[in-house]
Amino acid sequence: MKVRVRAFARFREIFGSEQVIDLPEEAGLDVLLKKFAESREEGHAALFDGDGRLLSHVVLMHNRRRVEDAAVGGTALSDGDEVAVFPPVAGG
Amino acid sequence: MITITHDEIDAGALIRAAQTPEMGALVTFVGVVRDDDGLETMELEAYEEAAHEELSTIRDEAMERYAIDSVDIVHRIGRLEVGETILVIVVGAGHRKEAFPACEYVIDRLKQTVPIWKKEYRAGGDEWVAGETQKSA
Repeated sequence: MKVRVRAFARFREIFGSEQVIDLPEEAGLDVLLKKFAESREEGHAALFDGDGRLLSHVVLMHNRRRVEDAAVGGTALSDGDEVAVFPPVAGG
Repeated sequence: MITITHDEIDAGALIRAAQTPEMGALVTFVGVVRDDDGLETMELEAYEEAAHEELSTIRDEAMERYAIDSVDIVHRIGRLEVGETILVIVVGAGHRKEAFPACEYVIDRLKQTVPIWKKEYRAGGDEWVAGETQKSA
């Protein structure tokens, strides 16, 4: 399946504004994030700490709904889904 | 009206458009690019579809919580100069006592949840503005 990953602000500067990641059918959000992180040399350090945990300031959306850190491992993906990766918001 | 735009925002036109005969109060918040520590320009970026949905949710929440008649939110993105308008919120109500807290509710929620980011450009370089996070460290 193909999942579209969009990155914003600081993460856009690292990963580009959009990538389409090809995944096995059963892969979840955790698998996607690791593959996305590996797409750039500095990508893993931008998203994960030394123990492989997602950094606290990384915000995720799956089909425009926020995904809490604890739910990342249990979030299933489908072909055509959209995942967004971004830092804390700062509008207004 | 909920809008994310690259164009200049005319707060006066938004107030006039929002007004109905029942409204005794139109409380307006205008967010402006501030001359802060040598700031030259600011670049605003949005996850537009998600930001639009989130702004609509905040409007609906404000309408539920307060006795108000309308909430309009226009947020600008792109490159802005000092003094330019980033955001206008117009809350229309029969009375001011509901419109003021409703307007504050909208701007406070916007800063917590709407996926929009600012990058500040100064002579010494550029830097993303640290945002608010709802997640614990």
